[in-house]
Amino acid sequence: MKRASILIALLAGASLAAGAETQPAALAKAGGASTADHSRFIELQKIFNSGPEVTKACLGCHTEAAKQIHRTKHWTWEWVNPETGQKLGKRNVVNNFCTAVPSNEKFCAACHVGYGMENAKTFDYGSETAVDCLVCHDTTGSYKKLPGLAGHPAYKEIEYPPKSGKFVKPVDLGKVAQSVGKTSRATCGACHFLGGGGDAVKHGDLDTSLKTPPRYLDVHMDAKGLNFSCATCHATQGHDIPGSRYTPTGKADNAPLMRGRQNQGNPATCQSCHGAAPHKTKARLNSHTEKIACQTCHIPQFARAQPTKMSWDWSTAGKLTPDGKRMTIKDASGHHDKYDSNKGDFVYESDVVPTYAWLNGKVKYTLLGDPVNVNGVTKINEYLGSADDGQSRIWPLKVFRGKQPYDLENGSLLVPHTAVGYGEKDDSAFWINYKWEEALKAGANATGRPFGGKFDFVATEMSWPITHMVAPKADALSCTQCHSRSGRLATIDGVYLPRRDNNRLIDTLGWLAALAALLGVAIHGGIRVYLARKGN
Amino acid sequence: MLKIIGSFIAGVVFTGILAWNMMGGLMFNERESPFGVEETVARIQQNIQTTGKGWALSGLRNPAAAVKADGGNALPVMMVEACSTKYSGPILNEDSVRFLSILMPCKISIYKKNDGKVYIGTMNAGLLGQMFGPLVGGIMKQVAEDQQKFLVMDPSKPTPQIQYPKAAGGSGGGSGGGSGC
Repeated sequence: MKRASILIALLAGASLAAGAETQPAALAKAGGASTADHSRFIELQKIFNSGPEVTKACLGCHTEAAKQIHRTKHWTWEWVNPETGQKLGKRNVVNNFCTAVPSNEKFCAACHVGYGMENAKTFDYGSETAVDCLVCHDTTGSYKKLPGLAGHPAYKEIEYPPKSGKFVKPVDLGKVAQSVGKTSRATCGACHFLGGGGDAVKHGDLDTSLKTPPRYLDVHMDAKGLNFSCATCHATQGHDIPGSRYTPTGKADNAPLMRGRQNQGNPATCQSCHGAAPHKTKARLNSHTEKIACQTCHIPQFARAQPTKMSWDWSTAGKLTPDGKRMTIKDASGHHDKYDSNKGDFVYESDVVPTYAWLNGKVKYTLLGDPVNVNGVTKINEYLGSADDGQSRIWPLKVFRGKQPYDLENGSLLVPHTAVGYGEKDDSAFWINYKWEEALKAGANATGRPFGGKFDFVATEMSWPITHMVAPKADALSCTQCHSRSGRLATIDGVYLPRRDNNRLIDTLGWLAALAALLGVAIHGGIRVYLARKGN
Repeated sequence: MLKIIGSFIAGVVFTGILAWNMMGGLMFNERESPFGVEETVARIQQNIQTTGKGWALSGLRNPAAAVKADGGNALPVMMVEACSTKYSGPILNEDSVRFLSILMPCKISIYKKNDGKVYIGTMNAGLLGQMFGPLVGGIMKQVAEDQQKFLVMDPSKPTPQIQYPKAAGGSGGGSGGGSGC
């Protein structure tokens, strides 16, 4: 009897284990919450030779998904600002990191939610099968789009980077397709953590440390705590993801968003959950929320887990070793390059104290063709706002400084052609020949801009609102960090800040009152002493 | 007479309060660094090693890391530790001042403040030494002179790299086996 019980228990255990093994990764990760097990769909039980083949299978059920994607900036890489008329989006803007997409598409498209973007102008934006479902919905972690493959993953084993002696195995598209699930910090982060050409380079508040963040780094995403994914705040409807640096929410609606109510506000704001009076025990702090973004106090520093790039000087790029090869020089930490022949000089910094500015959600860009400020600093983007417009709050920003090429004849920014497609021999690319003139000429051809051949480098500045990496409340700024003459908000104008600001008239009246009180006490005391002695 | 005694006591109290308030500033020095935290650390480490006189790195601590490991945040602080047995030996061999081993090894703190700037904090070795007699006073005077050489920040020199301790300690530590003391 005892033996029989043990046998039954062993069999039961074995069957449970077998069940666990056959459970697809998506379901296992989702804790069984999903109502669909994609590994059981016949449409996905086949060998796929390319990404578009998988997409075709996805669209068999998710009939509207590609159309929804087609309406997003993730797909179009273009967005027209209705207020300024400026044509923005990755296809159009220039930044002071890797500079711009045109002529470099095959490389940059590793972060496009599509397949086959070899040229942003001629890419078929109407193609449904060119939409890449897996890049956002992979749960295996094995799906990688490599720079140089125009948005495709590796379909066969390739040496990558070329001539490196390292090899990348082809992605198992069938396995990935059968394991699809919700987006995750890993899928969003595959691009957003690595913006600007590497981990932690661009944003300062987004890097791979947020894949499994500790509590000190982000109280909401804390992997052992609330464990928010990106989509918890960037609550997505019909593949339209709220939250954009082209249309930031300077002053969010004060009321939290509620189920059952018609909400028009941006869900990716602090107020959408916390409202405008979040401080329960220190109600005085609630009076700050009208003028100050939550992030200003609750993100005391950014790049707290690893350093972010703070400046990039393209003008020094192209220095080679004596035998004509690319070289890199490490910075003092030994962990990052301070020089790279491909890119120039960098400065990395960790625990950066932000710059603060009024921000009302409006932004103006310096685009190709716009004049640069050759005698000063050209602002690649400028967030607008003031104390008086009623739409602004004081925000923390990462201000990224650089030097990048501009056309001496027409005085506007230039785009260098830097990167080439995988295995291509393209002598006009800077990362191949290290010749600025040819790279700038190729970039100008791709953008359709004139280039006379004369160029120089201009100082530029780009701002990034800081909104991720919210610290525990105990680490929020203390009063004196702003309320002092040399505090964090020393340069913010248009608002009266006690202890930073003073009014000479009020100060004089105050001192006079104090002096009068002192005199009064002295006279009163003197009279009493005098009368006492006289009485004696 | 009462007035004289009263005035004397008031003077003593006033001087005492003044000295008490100034003591902290006299015992420690702070200066701004033209470089970031890591580069400042690396340059100080390099200076220590090129100063000679037996100076050697004996550790590098990161107390901010301990705060982070405990779930909090702290601006970067790194402490370079250095020691020279040429100076420490005589003090450690004299029973009357052996308690000063508590100040060993010599520490230089590099930290960022809320203004975003990087500062270097050092002990005023010269002044401190004078409080403990001629032996310690003489040694600490030389330490103070060497300390000034540690803090030279010459931008014309190429950036060295931080020398991390080989045997890292706990999350807040990072002290190396090092040499010297």
